[in-house]
Amino acid sequence: MSAAATNSGRELVSKPFLLDAAAAEAYQQGVESPPRRTPRVNIHTDDEAARTAGFPAPIAGGEQTYAVMANFMLDSFGSGFLRGGRLQAALVKPVFYGDTLTMHARIVDDDGPQLQLEVWTESQRGERVLVGTARVPKQSP
Amino acid sequence: MRGANFLPSVSPLNVSGQNLARLINLFNGRGDGQSMSDSEKRLLMCPENIHAGMKLGPVFYVVRPEQIEAFARGTRSTNPLFTGNSPAGDQIAPPTMRLQDYALLIAAHFYGGSGGVHAKHWNEFHAPMRANQPVKTEGRITWVERKRGKFYFELEYESRDAVTDELLMRQAITSVLLQEGKIA
Repeated sequence: MSAAATNSGRELVSKPFLLDAAAAEAYQQGVESPPRRTPRVNIHTDDEAARTAGFPAPIAGGEQTYAVMANFMLDSFGSGFLRGGRLQAALVKPVFYGDTLTMHARIVDDDGPQLQLEVWTESQRGERVLVGTARVPKQSP
Repeated sequence: MRGANFLPSVSPLNVSGQNLARLINLFNGRGDGQSMSDSEKRLLMCPENIHAGMKLGPVFYVVRPEQIEAFARGTRSTNPLFTGNSPAGDQIAPPTMRLQDYALLIAAHFYGGSGGVHAKHWNEFHAPMRANQPVKTEGRITWVERKRGKFYFELEYESRDAVTDELLMRQAITSVLLQEGKIA
């Protein structure tokens, strides 16, 4: 879509994203992690580690939830987002494997050279798991 | 600026990809893809050793087209910018593909610990990161706080073209450090 066609109050909604174990594994193949001699038992892969940390089950990495929001912004506003765009978010609720996420972006101010947006990600339970703001230049290169 | 002077001589134009990866690993202190000994140089990852103002990095790498494609698959993206037929001309990296550079910066300075829980993140995008681009990333701990028994820290880091020094991205992670596997 064209950013110039947007206006305050307009809301964009993504297609649903199923964050299951297969998606998490595929995501891990696309990131560069520090080399380790032995795999670390962690809250993303191990029931006991997750329970010790206070979660009922292993949780998905917050980075993947954040990544699909960033991709949604790029898909919605074009490559101008990569030249002057900004995204900030808090991961306020855990995402469990099998959750379906939907990304939302609402334009709160389209005065000036940049769009100001409120962004959030909702799970199929209707709870917001990510909340934040974004800024997108109106002029795409 | 040791890296900026070092990297042009090992750019993809001069050496094979395998040799370039090996040279970058050596420069990053990871030997031939092996992690450093825990007794070497690094500090235990614990609240007592994390202080505001600590500089982390730099680390160097070349943006691999294969990583772009794997990351796009991992986020089920079909954006053509991430493909070899990008309408932008260059194959572009997804916006947060190198978000995990924070982990490389931490691993270069710390060992052990139980990991952390990602609480907040922000990114400022200045220029697209492109396939085969040599990149330098460095950061610093900007903030630490103990609150209600939890230990929070913020690591701010930026990525630049390692040859031209063009700023590509600034970002920061706020994390809650797990201590003995627990948040608090």
